[in-house]
Amino acid sequence: MTDTKTLTTEQPDQAALKPAVRMPAAVAHGLAIGGGALTAASAFLAWTYSSSFPGDLTISGYPGGLQWLTLTAGLLTALMGVIAAVPGLRVLAPGNPGNATLLFAVGGVAVTWFTLIAIAVQLHGLVNLTSGGWVAGVASLIALVGTLGLPRAPGSTVCAPTRAEWLQTLYAGAGLLAVGYLLHLTGNGAAGLVMAGAGVVPIARLCIVLKHYTGPTPTLRAAKRLPVAVDVVLMILMLALALEIFAYGVDTPYGQLFVGFLAVLCFSLWALSQSGLLRRATEIFERNRAWAAVLGFLTAAAFVFVQQSDADAALGVNVLIFAATALGLNVVVGLAGLLDLGYVAFLGVGAYAAALVSGAVTSSVHATFPFWAAALTGAAVSGIFGVLLGAPTLRVRGDYLAIVTLGFGEIFRIVVSNLDGVSGPNVTGGPNGIVNIPDLSILGFNLGNPHTILGATIGRFANYFWLMLIIMAIIMLVFSRAADSRIGRAWVAIREDETAATAMGINGFRFKLLAFALGAALAGLAGTVMAHVNFSVVPDPFVFAGPVPPNSAFLLAAVVIGGMGTVSGPIVGATLFYLLQQKLTFLQSNELLIFGVALILFMRLRPEGIIASRRRQLEFHEAEDAPAAQLSTAGA
Amino acid sequence: MHELPQNLANGLFLGAMYGLIAVGYTMVYGIIQLINFAHGEIFMTGAFGALAVYSKLGANVSIWLALPLMIVGGVATATLVAVLAERFAYRPLRNAPRLAPLITAIGLSIFLQQLVWGFPGNKSARVFPQLPGGPFHLGSVVFQSADIFVVVAAVLSTLFLAYFVRSTRTGRAMQATAQDPDTAKLMGIDTDKVIVIAFAIGAVFAAIAGISSGLRYGQIEYNMGFLNGLFAFTAAVLGGIGNIYGAMLGGLVLGLAQTLSAAYIQYIPGMSQFGSQDWSGVWAFVILILVLMFRPQGLLGERVADRA
Amino acid sequence: MTTETTTTPAAAPAAGTPLLEARDVVMRFGGLTAVGGVDLTVNTGEIIGLIGPNGAGKTTFFNCLTGLYVPTEGQVRYQGQLLPPTPHKVTQAGMARTFQNIRLFHNMTVLENVLVGRHTRTKEGIVSAILRGPGYRREEAESRAKALELLEFVGLADKRDMLARNLPYGEQRKLEIARAMASEPGLLLLDEPTAGMNPQETRATEELVFAIRDRGMAVLVIEHDMRFIFNLCDRVAVLVQGKKLVEGDAQTVQSDERVIAAYLGTPMDGAEAGTESTTSTEENQ
Repeated sequence: MTDTKTLTTEQPDQAALKPAVRMPAAVAHGLAIGGGALTAASAFLAWTYSSSFPGDLTISGYPGGLQWLTLTAGLLTALMGVIAAVPGLRVLAPGNPGNATLLFAVGGVAVTWFTLIAIAVQLHGLVNLTSGGWVAGVASLIALVGTLGLPRAPGSTVCAPTRAEWLQTLYAGAGLLAVGYLLHLTGNGAAGLVMAGAGVVPIARLCIVLKHYTGPTPTLRAAKRLPVAVDVVLMILMLALALEIFAYGVDTPYGQLFVGFLAVLCFSLWALSQSGLLRRATEIFERNRAWAAVLGFLTAAAFVFVQQSDADAALGVNVLIFAATALGLNVVVGLAGLLDLGYVAFLGVGAYAAALVSGAVTSSVHATFPFWAAALTGAAVSGIFGVLLGAPTLRVRGDYLAIVTLGFGEIFRIVVSNLDGVSGPNVTGGPNGIVNIPDLSILGFNLGNPHTILGATIGRFANYFWLMLIIMAIIMLVFSRAADSRIGRAWVAIREDETAATAMGINGFRFKLLAFALGAALAGLAGTVMAHVNFSVVPDPFVFAGPVPPNSAFLLAAVVIGGMGTVSGPIVGATLFYLLQQKLTFLQSNELLIFGVALILFMRLRPEGIIASRRRQLEFHEAEDAPAAQLSTAGA
Repeated sequence: MHELPQNLANGLFLGAMYGLIAVGYTMVYGIIQLINFAHGEIFMTGAFGALAVYSKLGANVSIWLALPLMIVGGVATATLVAVLAERFAYRPLRNAPRLAPLITAIGLSIFLQQLVWGFPGNKSARVFPQLPGGPFHLGSVVFQSADIFVVVAAVLSTLFLAYFVRSTRTGRAMQATAQDPDTAKLMGIDTDKVIVIAFAIGAVFAAIAGISSGLRYGQIEYNMGFLNGLFAFTAAVLGGIGNIYGAMLGGLVLGLAQTLSAAYIQYIPGMSQFGSQDWSGVWAFVILILVLMFRPQGLLGERVADRA
Repeated sequence: MTTETTTTPAAAPAAGTPLLEARDVVMRFGGLTAVGGVDLTVNTGEIIGLIGPNGAGKTTFFNCLTGLYVPTEGQVRYQGQLLPPTPHKVTQAGMARTFQNIRLFHNMTVLENVLVGRHTRTKEGIVSAILRGPGYRREEAESRAKALELLEFVGLADKRDMLARNLPYGEQRKLEIARAMASEPGLLLLDEPTAGMNPQETRATEELVFAIRDRGMAVLVIEHDMRFIFNLCDRVAVLVQGKKLVEGDAQTVQSDERVIAAYLGTPMDGAEAGTESTTSTEENQ
């Protein structure tokens, strides 16, 4: 984090620092385990009198809604607490089990207190909380105090922020409160959000404190190699778990539950990386790459079996289209370093091309191509547009390219809106677009018809989900192989220093054009499926910035925030963005506002993105250790 | 073709507005090589700041009394936003990889749009006061008071800027910083201050352009900065980015090109369907691409040789 | 010659045949004549030095040879063929260079930097990169082996997975040389390879250049460090104000009155000339 420099750091080889709360080790272990267990148990109590809080937390004896999350966090705390307390169990958590316990406990506190506060705020007053709610709150705090008494890991640093940093936090929080109040006076819809931001500032500060308290991700000695069969079983178990967690996140019926879910998920992943388990898991996946790819694909395909409705499958297929396009953009931005701000237009070109040859009545081309031909047409036409746009502009300075591509994106939207037979020749149907696009028929099988596999009904969107998954796998393969090849190295070399790259014999213009064409073709491929999934193609989604993905700004953000130059980064970024936008409906129409702020903050705090490529990781944080955040992608 | 003088005049008015916005792009780019993507939104906040002042004054106040106060309000709002953006969004990223500030700028642009959108009232268009008087006739050309306003504002602003850059200490410091920021710093120039001033001047000009836009069209919108900003950036590139006179010239050329293409492209054989107002934006970008192909340094720019 | 089996464009002709022939190269920037009619021949197996005071036009001449600038007049031939005026084609033809101010790919690893240098000697395209046929695998393995061998040669093999930007200065220079050598050039052009180095590092670089020559590459080197140049080079050309003042072996050049006058100045200044190199930054235009 950026604040490292202002914190007083200790020599890493010095003895471990004292814990925050001084107590005998036995007491600390006892409090941690007991607190965790009590937290878990308290989830079975009733927390409120009123059933108007979503999830119905009024029932004793059975957890509901957010209580499940508290239960999970409590159990994990207790479990890790036991591992930390018993030296013989060290093998289960080879890293820092103490830190992991602490982070699980923090997750428990976060979700429990978030729930209590949400109940109090939403139902107007603390009186709505029953004693059960208070028990949960206190139990989670006991676990926290206990874990703060556990011995600390070597490499952790003095965590108290300086006076200046506290003041900074105070000013930022107060400033946001003041701005929020002013906005409130003028009736601006973003007022509440800005004031909520004032609350986030100290939380962010506390997270930084926590980061220093726990220290860097532990480095482990090489583990014993397990037989491949054991590895495979382990991978299947882990992927199944990841899928279950992902499906739970997708299914969350209300925003509060989703926020709680994210909180527990984030702290749990942090805890797992501290415990060293994430590292071990990554090792297993890395040494069995082929198996990992196959099992990952199958897990993703199994998503349609664990989800509750075809609506979730629709969400899944949209996420995949968005992610596939983001991965195409990643070729252009992440590898070749060319900033394309009108990228969604290529998705549009593919979608329109496929719609035109789909045999739809409203299409001005009266042809019906089979899917493989339509997909190739979409990709090829899109790629040609990429070359047409790139050929004149890729010779100019990089900064200009951003604007030219932005202009191209706008031109595309204007042109397709005007090629309606009134203000231009009739090609695209203008603002009404091309509608009633028939469902795809592959090998005589109509994707529009639901069918039954293994007793489960596979609906229309699930069919498309599987189709898109195959296309996604192809795109991932193309991306990762292109990136790790002579071509990919040439792209990165151009990004790094074009003069030196040409002096090494790389034809800069040709390779930039290739990146542009490949990126455009991948987006066009995704666009062909999009046209059929949505029944229609209209100009509206192909804008620079809009509230609903995909649009150029969201695509760029998915790549940048996910992690430029990586395969999994844009997928994680796209999934996160799509889910956040779908789940956080209580933000009313402020998603874009948050989105803008998120972009700014990410560039400030973690410019390499969530999943940092090895290169970018080294680029931005040379001294720090690489946190292994790979597993979170498995479910996507 | 009898309407040619009118079209030229319209192009001139549009171009003057583009030029005013383009100055901000070109100054900031000239000094820190940042495409301040949010500059279009600075233009927009300027217009909204002025409107806020007007609505506080009430309808009874004469527009001639209100206008100076509106200008002050608009300029103050835009400058404040620009300076805050520079301080909290861009400055921490001064030495970051090239993409980081550009993406921050995009985030800022979206954020500002949405923030303004959130204010209560009509979301799609808000009524902006009109200047009384007019229409005036000059030969076959008809124009409004607001057109005079924008032309006068553009001329005065250019003269002021020419004086400022050439003849003041700060202006010369600015030129030095644009040439070589490190050396300028060694020479005792407070480059941070110079950069803030560049942002502020850009914001002042953008605010005036925003007010002109409101006066001319009678309404403003939260997303008015996007396309206008894009065209203004095109104008800055057209004129040669980094060159303030180039920005004005580029604005005029682009304004004329847009107006004339909307009026006359339809008379080119085979192009009859591509001449409407809807297509003028397309032609503007076609011009941009052509300029970048054949004269990437812009009309007044100088070629930058790569160092080995 | 090197031992690997990949095709080498400069299929080492018999020693002593002309490799690079620059005839009457003129480079003008507007009114300024940076290089005014320079002839230079480099034969196979030779190490040629190019010296001259700051602003003498050495780097500009270099840029003319490597296609970064298109000479206003004159011709540059490599193995009898006219060189195309684009850098990537020059490298393709068999001339590779380093830069005065090191231009590595900072955020790529050491090994990747050298692999990029292999670019012109590999030819697999995007389709074969995606399909990964046996041809592609063979070529990639060959490239890796060759790159690792070169890293071994310059002594950076154990740092192959570090980022280039994290290497110390002297090793960055070595890496740049390895990267240039990866394109299997017949002629290697080094632009101030010892700038900013201490005496030990300079001596090590001297050894390295000899070793490069022993691998069958001719070397053209720009330097300020007199001792380095005179120890190293078979022939030395002196460039002053864009013109070649004199050319010959170290003895001839060192004793030439005009060189002493124009370059070394008075004997007292001459003593300082050797140390000047550490801070000098030559103008490019």
